[in-house]
Amino acid sequence: MNRIHLNIPSDLVFERVVRASAAELGSTMGFPRERVEDLKLAVSEAVTNAIEHGGGGMVGSVEVIFSLHADQLEVEIIDHGKGIEHFNTERRVVEEDNLESGMLRGFGSYLISELVDQYEVQSSGTGTSLRLRIFKAK
Amino acid sequence: MSDVQSVIRREEWDDVVLLHILTNSVDAVSAAAIEHACTQMKPITVLDFADVAFINSAGISVLLKFVVAARKNGYKVFCLHVSPHHQKIFKMVEMTRFMPMIEEQDLAAYTNTQQSSISNS
Repeated sequence: MNRIHLNIPSDLVFERVVRASAAELGSTMGFPRERVEDLKLAVSEAVTNAIEHGGGGMVGSVEVIFSLHADQLEVEIIDHGKGIEHFNTERRVVEEDNLESGMLRGFGSYLISELVDQYEVQSSGTGTSLRLRIFKAK
Repeated sequence: MSDVQSVIRREEWDDVVLLHILTNSVDAVSAAAIEHACTQMKPITVLDFADVAFINSAGISVLLKFVVAARKNGYKVFCLHVSPHHQKIFKMVEMTRFMPMIEEQDLAAYTNTQQSSISNS
């Protein structure tokens, strides 16, 4: 099993670096194109969450570990923030009330839960780890 | 990160504005520039995603801001040239309820009708 370890500053522009890496790895491993798109979006959402809620500012950093298996790609995203109470996948659709109130974010965790095959969340007062698994064949 | 002109190209007819999104990534980095570039809407505002390769939830958020702003003026927002993957994502979050997809030929037919009625009047 090969592993690739990235450590990016907590700045949203570096989310694109991780996303591009995920896409390249998915393509190299032979994932179908649509699965690569799913992978890119799930990783993007996870890394964006880690940057926005995981300590913030250029002083922080986010770790990303890609583990390449024969049949799957595992991506672990680790931040060093204050942790989360729970991984909220409940906000599923654009609601009329949300438009009126200006609540226009909050789909990220739901998208992750729908796009990957498995995910695990571990969180404490010193950080959060989100592990995503996506298989070549769904 | 990018200036307004490099993010959006406008085409306008009588009550229609077609906003071509020129950035290939509609995400948290490009959201502010896109939002800033799309302030002048018309009753029918169409967002063209032909050049867009990636949209995440931060990008969806800025698109929803268009919808909110348009509805306040009684305007409608449509999307054009949405990739199959992004159609799937839009359906997952039920985005298409507020920003329906429009086909290129339907838009062309509508704008041609408008131009004909203007030249005949």
